[in-house]
Amino acid sequence: MNKSISGANITNIALLAVCYVFYAFFDSRGLVILAAISLFAYMGGKFISESVSHGEGHKARMYCILFIATLVGVLCYFKYLASVPLPVGMSFYMLMAISFLADCLKGNFEDYPSPVEVMIFVSFFPTILSGPILKAKDFIPQISSRKRLDKERLTKGIWLIAIGLFMKLCLADRLAVSVDKVYSSPLVYSGMTLFMTSVGYSLQLLFDFAGYSDMAIGAATILGFDIPVNFNLPYMATNPSEFWNRWHISLSSWLKEYVYIPLGGNRKGIRRTYVNIMLVMTVSGLWHGSTANFLLWGLLHGLGQMVHRAVCGNKKDANAGPVVRILSVILNFLFVNFLWIPFRISTLSGSWTVIKRIFTLAEGASYYYVYTFIFCIALIIVQIIGAKRFGGNDPIRPLPFDRMSHRIIFCMLLIATAMFAYFGNSAFIYAQF
Amino acid sequence: MRILKSISGWLAAAVAAAFICNLSCFLFYMPFQELQRSAGSTTGFLLPLSCGVYGLEGYCRDMVDEKGYVNRDIPRSDEYYVAAGASHTEGLFLPMNLRYSDILNDTVWNDGKNHVINIGKSGNYFSVVLQHLEGILGEFPDAKGIIIETDSLCYDTKALYDSMVQTGYDPDETAASLVGKMSQRQKMIIKTKQALPLLRLCHKQYYTFLESRTENERSDILDPEFWQSEYDGDFETALDDLMKFIRSKTDKQVIILYHPAVSLNEDGTMTALTNNAEPYYEKVCKANGIDFIDMTQPFMKAYEEDHIIPYGFMNTTPGEGHTNRAAHEMMAEELAKVIR
Repeated sequence: MNKSISGANITNIALLAVCYVFYAFFDSRGLVILAAISLFAYMGGKFISESVSHGEGHKARMYCILFIATLVGVLCYFKYLASVPLPVGMSFYMLMAISFLADCLKGNFEDYPSPVEVMIFVSFFPTILSGPILKAKDFIPQISSRKRLDKERLTKGIWLIAIGLFMKLCLADRLAVSVDKVYSSPLVYSGMTLFMTSVGYSLQLLFDFAGYSDMAIGAATILGFDIPVNFNLPYMATNPSEFWNRWHISLSSWLKEYVYIPLGGNRKGIRRTYVNIMLVMTVSGLWHGSTANFLLWGLLHGLGQMVHRAVCGNKKDANAGPVVRILSVILNFLFVNFLWIPFRISTLSGSWTVIKRIFTLAEGASYYYVYTFIFCIALIIVQIIGAKRFGGNDPIRPLPFDRMSHRIIFCMLLIATAMFAYFGNSAFIYAQF
Repeated sequence: MRILKSISGWLAAAVAAAFICNLSCFLFYMPFQELQRSAGSTTGFLLPLSCGVYGLEGYCRDMVDEKGYVNRDIPRSDEYYVAAGASHTEGLFLPMNLRYSDILNDTVWNDGKNHVINIGKSGNYFSVVLQHLEGILGEFPDAKGIIIETDSLCYDTKALYDSMVQTGYDPDETAASLVGKMSQRQKMIIKTKQALPLLRLCHKQYYTFLESRTENERSDILDPEFWQSEYDGDFETALDDLMKFIRSKTDKQVIILYHPAVSLNEDGTMTALTNNAEPYYEKVCKANGIDFIDMTQPFMKAYEEDHIIPYGFMNTTPGEGHTNRAAHEMMAEELAKVIR
């Protein structure tokens, strides 16, 4: 039975109000678009769900294609054609709206959600700016059956927010100042400096985005929602496919479920699998940005995955010896690291200049940012601990506050954030996509 | 009771965490205690015989001498120079032996005595140093010469005349005298501040945060055009009056050490952010027997030939902030050429 607006409880309306006020703080102009997209998705989902419930699968698919095409069209218009800036978070909430429509087609909802629930899902304030990208079938059922805030949830949420804040303010922003400086005039610097800067950017991007994700997951946890992790030691991946299972997991998972599998995934032969991989990575590239740089970045990531499949087949890297695994991690990191160069630099010619200077070991000013080395070593230590004691997973996780030592560590994290936070370049990188 | 226990547990954790973080500050950021004065060779001095650690820009762990300046603990030579200036001269971002004053001492004399007394003090810019000229001459009457370091010559006619207004010298305003007159309460406050560098770091962070809100408004200072000014005959007359004023106060050797800021360009070149005042300074200084060292050419040459950038450190950004080790070496080399 469908719920009506009157069925939505006061808490949900209050949560929706908070989401909209939060969004208006960043982009009041885009508020109308956000509301319109939410209601459009609600309406489209209703048509699709009703067709599905009446056994009209073809009609439902047609509705789904029509509504998704419209959403994609609006996104493309704002992202690639419009002279006005892209509304904040549009790239993220559009994917979520699309997931809602696709989940309606799959009949993933027992009860069709209310408009308020759909609006909360699309505009959920912890995730709207930079993800993680939520899937409707996982999130919407949680709205009506939110878990109560208990000690465990509060502890987990607070820890994640504190860890995220530390990663963003102390690590990412501190690296950003050096990366921005070097990439603003790459011809000044030596090839080796540019290489170390590219490593610095790889770390910056990880700490920035993972930091934001942790904060978003932490806030959602306190509000009673469960959101899966978005990063899991991505630079410990041994191949490009594994990288995407560890980096921006919510996007990879979204692309897999709503693009790769509907295209046939790996079920239609090896050639079709390759084509599907390339298509998915092209979509990923174009989602990140409209310039040729992002397209190239996506294509090369797709190519990397294809080459790995062609060379290694389905062999599990986990079965390889430690030396091979370490070499694979280094090789894969270098591959990902070099592909972040066109991701960071806005033009193809600029990216080429940097890559050329790195590979020709061009002469220039030497500048080795000390924090790049410190954070790199720290990350390697975390990765080793993750590999040795946590089955290859991120060892940094919330600790219960029952023990005094855990409370001291938590307080130290807060004080360290105040001590080492870099105040200057503070925009979240992924918010621009 | 349970709530009370929980609160006290958290308080204890916070105190323990603050204690550990405070300890780490002794390796990272433990600033000197500064004391102000109204008359003397500088606007203020550092707490004599104290130690400081600065790791936010470059890294140094330096000591203050008994007069309140950062100098090595070696005997003073009978014939010495005084190096005055702002933070570049004070050099709280380089270990003591890497500042131009110390390099000069080691390369020109190297006899285990201090021939260049560094009285650099943050905020003591060119005009401020000149206002303290009588103070310098009063506090260091035996000095053989005075080095005045500056990173800017952007002073208009009024500022040049204002810099002739002297703060004077008061023997009661030396470090030893002022520290001796301190009350127990003042001493306690200083001791507490020295024991809690964490609070001072957080305080500094807070002000950095506030400053970062207005950072964009100051982006113009990296634009070479910002530094360009038009000068005329009045300016030259004022500058000449200033140099004559200096000469009226002392016949010692006076060296003005000017090092312009730089900007790194997209095309791989470096621009010295000079203005049009340099030729006037060169001409007027020469006419009044004052040595004028312009670091523009040495800086440009070092960049063009060896890709050396004179500003910035490995924990900040190149081309910005304070003069680094390479710049101090170049400045010492140029100073060595004119020191008599």
